[in-house]
Amino acid sequence: MFVYEKKLQYPVKIARPNPKLASIIISQYGGPDGELGASLRYLSQRFSMPYAEQKGLLTDIGTEELGHLEIVGAIVHQLTKNLTPEQQRADGFAAYFVDHTQGVYPQFASGTPWTAATMQVKGDPITDLTEDLAAEQKARSTYDNILRLSDDPDVNDVIKFLREREIVHFQRFGEAIQKLRERLNEKNVYYLNPAIDR
Amino acid sequence: MEMRIQQMARRQQNMETGDPGYGILPACAPLANPYVPYQQDNPATYPAKNGVVRGTLFPGLDLPFMGMTNDVPLDDTPLHELQALCFALTELGLYLDTHKDDREAFELFQSYARLYNEGKAVYEQQYGPLTMEAAAHGETYGWMSDPWPWEYEANQREA
Repeated sequence: MFVYEKKLQYPVKIARPNPKLASIIISQYGGPDGELGASLRYLSQRFSMPYAEQKGLLTDIGTEELGHLEIVGAIVHQLTKNLTPEQQRADGFAAYFVDHTQGVYPQFASGTPWTAATMQVKGDPITDLTEDLAAEQKARSTYDNILRLSDDPDVNDVIKFLREREIVHFQRFGEAIQKLRERLNEKNVYYLNPAIDR
Repeated sequence: MEMRIQQMARRQQNMETGDPGYGILPACAPLANPYVPYQQDNPATYPAKNGVVRGTLFPGLDLPFMGMTNDVPLDDTPLHELQALCFALTELGLYLDTHKDDREAFELFQSYARLYNEGKAVYEQQYGPLTMEAAAHGETYGWMSDPWPWEYEANQREA
């Protein structure tokens, strides 16, 4: 089960509203490489993992990603709070505003609602963990792009933190593949699917 | 070719001098497998309050984009202290998930857990319960009180 702890993993303290920037950052909430997909991917993949090392790591990284989802939501919330009518009408934000006002909705920066089509649960441990390596890199690239587009130091402070977490997670997933390999046929790791064959 | 040999020699040297940015790979391994170098046991760590702003406790994994780094630790507040300690636990926990026999890392994890529990008590005394269960220790049910974590006010409390 999950227990809520009433604090953010990393502080979010944004002094100035910036709806246009919010409409970009929303992609890390519900976009193709965002934190919602990350958490659901890992927390779903863990059910078919046959060995404790991978069950544990997917649970722990999936849980951390839920914390990141909250952080990204906090950024969007603070960037869109107390907007003036001019800011509500701002280029790049009016389309979001008409559908969601100042609510935080999981969608791509381009407006497509979050979809499970952006993630996979293949039910084969080596396949799923290899997807996870790619997922961490895609999220890192997205944070790189946000750093290119944003000049708000309060936002970038948090984005740098989230970006670095992707690198650490990539390292751990790589190590989890090594741990998995030690359990499999050394000469041919693809001999069977350890999730369903014994 | 010559450059590659020089690079390899330099890497060998980095391993021998214990450069934390280098890990272990098998010298010979089966084809068609993904490999990430394994982080070596007992790696160098930043103190929690420096690590939290860098986004990692491990200098070897600290790989910023275009030199953009957070170098100034967070202000000294009970919340920031708790966030740094909680971060150290998360980071060491993930490390231990793949290095469960690293005794030094486990001892560091234990000492951060002790500090975290102390920090949590101080924080809750001042600002209210962090979990619903902790609300039972108050005189009244203080779980619902504002601000909630995503609000600006929750993140700018003074020391």
